[in-house]
Order: sequence, then C-alpha cells, then structure tokens
Amino acid sequence: MKKSILFLAFFGIAIVFAQKITTLAEYKSSIKANKSEAKKSISPYLYDGYKTTYFNYKTFKQTKEVEIYLFNNTEYRLAFNGKSCSKGLKVNIYDKEKSSSNRLLLKTIDNVTGQNIMIKTDDLNKALKLSNSKATRLKRVFISYEIPAIATANNSKPSLDDRGAVVLVMGYKN
Amino acid sequence: MKKNIFFAAAIVGTTLFATSCNNEPTIDEGLEIETTEIAEVITENVFESPDVDYHLPSALQVASIFKKSGMRFNPSSMNSTENSSNYTTAASQMLNFGVYSADIAFCVTNNQINEARELIGVIKDLADVQGMSAVFDNKDLMDRFDSSLGIEDSIQYVMVEIHERTEEYMTENEMLHTSAVHYAGAWIEGMYLGVVDFENNSENKNVGSQINEQMEILKNIIKGLKDPKNNELGLESTISDLESIESTYNSFESVKAFHSDESAVELFLTKEEFSTLSTLIKDTRSKIINA
Repeated sequence: MKKSILFLAFFGIAIVFAQKITTLAEYKSSIKANKSEAKKSISPYLYDGYKTTYFNYKTFKQTKEVEIYLFNNTEYRLAFNGKSCSKGLKVNIYDKEKSSSNRLLLKTIDNVTGQNIMIKTDDLNKALKLSNSKATRLKRVFISYEIPAIATANNSKPSLDDRGAVVLVMGYKN
Repeated sequence: MKKNIFFAAAIVGTTLFATSCNNEPTIDEGLEIETTEIAEVITENVFESPDVDYHLPSALQVASIFKKSGMRFNPSSMNSTENSSNYTTAASQMLNFGVYSADIAFCVTNNQINEARELIGVIKDLADVQGMSAVFDNKDLMDRFDSSLGIEDSIQYVMVEIHERTEEYMTENEMLHTSAVHYAGAWIEGMYLGVVDFENNSENKNVGSQINEQMEILKNIIKGLKDPKNNELGLESTISDLESIESTYNSFESVKAFHSDESAVELFLTKEEFSTLSTLIKDTRSKIINA
C-alpha cells in the first residue's frame, strides 16, 4: 500500500513537471522558429551566425547592447526577429559604443515586437556618409536594444509573460 | 486500505490543484526550470543576456575576407594533422579544434580538396573527445561535404551548415564558454596564415589591412576566454600571450595615431611594428599547436 501511495504521489508530481516542460519547450521552440525566419530573410547572403538577447521586462527602462564587426568592404544583412518580445522593443544602431559621447545613430527600428526586419549595412554606411562626407565605411556597429519599462512587471520574480528575447541573424555577401 | 487510497488521491489532487492556481510558470537560467516547491514554480537567477555583448565572425567569413584581400594560401603553413594525436588536455583539444577549423575554412575557400578531406577527419575526432560527436554524426552531411569538395558554392553551404550545427549544439548544451576557446584557436591560426602570407607578399597592403582589422576583435576573444566556466582549463598562459599581443599592438605609434585621428581611413603598421606583431602571433600559435 505504501508503494501505491508513493506511485500516486510520483504520478502527481510528474504531471506538474510535464505541464511546465511543455511551456518551456514551447518557449525554446519559438526562439528557434524566430531564428529560422530571420535566417530566411538574409538570403542569399551566407549565414554567419546569430545572437539571441534575452531579457525580462522590468518596471524601469533597460538597454542591452551587441557589438558587431564589419570587415573589408563586405556587405552584410542583419535580421532582427522580435516575435518573442510581447511588450515592445526599440532597436537603435550606432557607430560607436555607448561610452562614446559622440556616437552617431545610424538607424532606428521603433518597435520590433512581433516583426522580422532585415537591414543592409549598405544603408548604414550611407547614413554614416550623410553625416560625415569624409567617412569611408563602418568597421563596427553597436546594436542597442531599448527595453521599455512595464509598470506591472515583477522585477525580482519575472513571469513567462515578462520574458522577452530578440534574435539577430547575420549574413555576409561572399 | 480505504484511508490510504484516499490519502494518496488527496496528494495527487492537492498537487494538481495548487499548481493550476499558481501564477504563470517562470524560466530559470539556461531556460531550465528549477523548482524549490512543487506547488509553487518560482525561479531565482532568471537568465538574462549581459548588458554588453558581441558577435564574432565565423572562421569561414574570416577566410573569405582574407581571400578577397588577395591572400595567397599556402597549405604547408597549416597545422599538421599529425599533431592532433598530441592534444590530450581539454584546453589543447579545444584550442586546436579552433585551429583546424580555421585551416579547413581556408582550404575550402581556396579549393584545397585533399587537405580539406584530411582536416574534416581530424576535426571530427577532436569533436568526439570533447563530447560533440552529435555535430558530425550525420552521414548525409558528411557525404555532402565529401561530394561538394571542389564545387565552391556547394562546399561553402555545407561548411555554413556545419558551423550552424556546431553553434546550435554549443548553445543548447550551454557550452558557449567552450566556443570561446575554439574561437581563440581559430583566430590565432587565421592571423598566423595572414601574417605568413604578408611576410612573403608585403606589397599586398590589403592583407596587412585585414590583419589590422582582425586585431579589433581580440579584446572580445580574451573576454570569452576569461569566462569563469573556463577557469579549470588552465588557459592562463594563452590568455597572457593574447593580452601581450593586444597591449603591444595598442602601444604601436601607428595604432595610437590612427585611433586619435577621426579622419583616418586605413591603418598601416610600419615594417618594425609588423615584425614585432608577427613574432608574437607566431610564438603564441606555436605554443598552441605544439601543446
């Protein structure tokens, strides 16, 4: 009889974990799908890699930055997939890191939530030259994700609703 | 008996009831759930990306860039596949996985078929000893690799697929810190091959320029090596050597002048500066491949 009790208790626990794993598996699967979609949009450029930036919405505004290298007059495509950001995300692209006082804002995507947007570095270089006619090309860009403040967020114990992720896929012209 | 059945049913019922009334489940670090109580799924240390992050170019892209700059690839400059049996420590296996990855990228972009075929075998073996055999355990992929050698477009797509499989494997298995070690090996090998070519072909300013551009990513390579998860690998010597390359490079007058002049377009090292940099790169690479 003890065995039956243990079995039933274990069965109950297993059901609980199965529910949670399903949610987690769905989340992971959605990030993969987002990456896949972003990868399609860089075609026919060669896939170089990806960077998923994970965050939790909080009651205050946040920024996360990713540095990308651009080499030897090569053209690149950067695809941003914000389909795992439910509450807004702004993307700013700069020519220098955030500690630099005179960095230039090259491009803004006001809200990438629910979207897959592809940008060509050719356009970023044009923006650079518009601002400085003597400039030749960008050697690095800094992607700055502006995560808005959400009044209802739980800063210390975020729920799945408060989680966000943006996938950046890079491709280069061979 | 009836009491016991009732008790067991109560446990199951209570468990289901408590969790269904709970708040939304939360996600823990690495997207795995860590529960402290069955009835309450709350996580601590919820994973977030760092506030400042970076993306490093793939070995294939670097090889492609050097090729476009006019680099003349010499297969005899690569790390001999015979050295692979000497790599018995985790650090040497990871670093040289990166070294051979750079070698195969250069082979593929320069149509060195036999060498590429030999290298993929060594890379697979090193992947196996690191527990990464799943990346290459795909007969269809390996068959396509073999049949695509010599067909530039095809082989590049196969190489991209291998790169992506490796990337996914490392991410899903929380091995990005290991990825950083691979990358360090690939970087030093790419730089070595570039330096060797430039020494024999110094009129080609483009190769020199590429060497300078690749120096820009070194700080993030060092950062990756210093991930606390790599502490047990014994990478102090490699990190120290790379830091020496970085600090020496940054102390060059040409480099200082370039960075202080906003209108400067390209950076060219003097002959002496290049010689100093070249020696450091060769020494570091030698230590890694002769481990």
